[in-house]
Amino acid sequence: MGQARSHVFAPLGDLGRAEAVTARLVDAISMGLLADREQLPSEAELAGQFGVATVTVREALVALRQQGLVETRRGRGGGSFVITPSDGSPASWRQSLREVSLSELRDIGDHYLAVAGAAARLAAERSSPEDVERLRLATEDLRKANTAGKGRETRARELAAARAERQFHLEVAAAAQSPRLTHQEIQLQGERGGLLWLPPSANAHEEHRAITEAIAHQDGELARKLTEEHILQAVDRLADMHLDLLEP
Amino acid sequence: MKREDEVVEHVSVIVEDVFDRLKPVLVAVESLLDEVDEVRAEDLDRVRPQVVDALGGLVIGAGYVAAPHVLADQEYGFEWWTATGPKPEQLFISLEPGSANFLDYTRQSWFTVSRDTGRRHVNGPYVDYLCTDEYTLTFTVPAQRNGEFAGVVGADVFVREFEHALQPRLRHLGSRAALVNAQGRVIVSNSARLPTGSLMRDADVPAWWSAGAQARAGVRRCGDAPIVLVT
Repeated sequence: MGQARSHVFAPLGDLGRAEAVTARLVDAISMGLLADREQLPSEAELAGQFGVATVTVREALVALRQQGLVETRRGRGGGSFVITPSDGSPASWRQSLREVSLSELRDIGDHYLAVAGAAARLAAERSSPEDVERLRLATEDLRKANTAGKGRETRARELAAARAERQFHLEVAAAAQSPRLTHQEIQLQGERGGLLWLPPSANAHEEHRAITEAIAHQDGELARKLTEEHILQAVDRLADMHLDLLEP
Repeated sequence: MKREDEVVEHVSVIVEDVFDRLKPVLVAVESLLDEVDEVRAEDLDRVRPQVVDALGGLVIGAGYVAAPHVLADQEYGFEWWTATGPKPEQLFISLEPGSANFLDYTRQSWFTVSRDTGRRHVNGPYVDYLCTDEYTLTFTVPAQRNGEFAGVVGADVFVREFEHALQPRLRHLGSRAALVNAQGRVIVSNSARLPTGSLMRDADVPAWWSAGAQARAGVRRCGDAPIVLVT
């Protein structure tokens, strides 16, 4: 049976789980919980441990191979082996940024603008003090990510800042009380390997603070405007970096 | 009985039914924490039968969420199952604080309120982005080990199902009415002008709630749940 066909007949409960299994293994590899060259358990064993179908594990392994985090050797002594990336990053974002096109970047930016801008306006209307408190915590996370751990590896700092960015925008969408906008926000954050929020920005913390205050003061128009500017700057930054990366 | 009282009574029955479903889960979790010296993530399997049993009726998700460091082998952990498909499915999310996909559940109100008050709580409506991404009410009860907070046992109810259960009675009231939470957020109303998720600012429910929620014309508390009928 071809791979596409076997997916058709994958147990329903397992659809979408390959992503969860992939995420778990990416985490483990990028954090060094699984060592370089370590052999992974067999597909059947992994399936048993994760409580998913073998086909799901296989799908996750395909994704890991594509990201260069696992290699599979055939024959005696064969199996799947961990490859720890030399710069500590799975397929570095600079690589993805080189491959993206400016037209695609602009389009992702437009979509993001529509979703996050609308979410910010609605969040200003609908946030309870509890919601605002979570926005403040997420804003603080970004400040900490940017300032703490100067000795830390750049990569770790970039990841922490990108996570804080994503968390903040996720909280805004949730504060808008909209499952659909939240869902879109999550999807857009994953576009092109989460590229949008990866390049670090010096002003991001101040911008988040201003958006949070606009939401706290129930000023929907200001919250929307500030959010749109915040996103446009991120897209411009990406476009500039993309062009720099193309230089010979 | 007045029609308003019937609505209040019906909400209380629904709420009690959900909390009743959680009782065996709480017993199983607390005895596991009591009996095993160093509870590891894999030991949570042992509460799975009670968790899966709690699903059904309005409950589409249930489980136990551990407080940090309650498990011996990892900081965060939970056993959570959902019933949104043909059969129960286990929820997996990143539990590694250093990971790019990690979301800190100890900031969620469904976790903090039961932790800080030591009492059961109905959280929401809110977008449950950790689990189903749906608009949800989460019912939680604090779990304890040696008298200390050890996490929450909880159940999820979709707001749309709650609405289906209550809307006919709200319509029956005739005039404008809404069930809101303690922050004044609309769970379900009988008016297009009071959409689900919006804040009903004019009734000033938060102030009334923090002043003790004493009976007042047009505002009724539903049992001991933080759900209020505003008419």
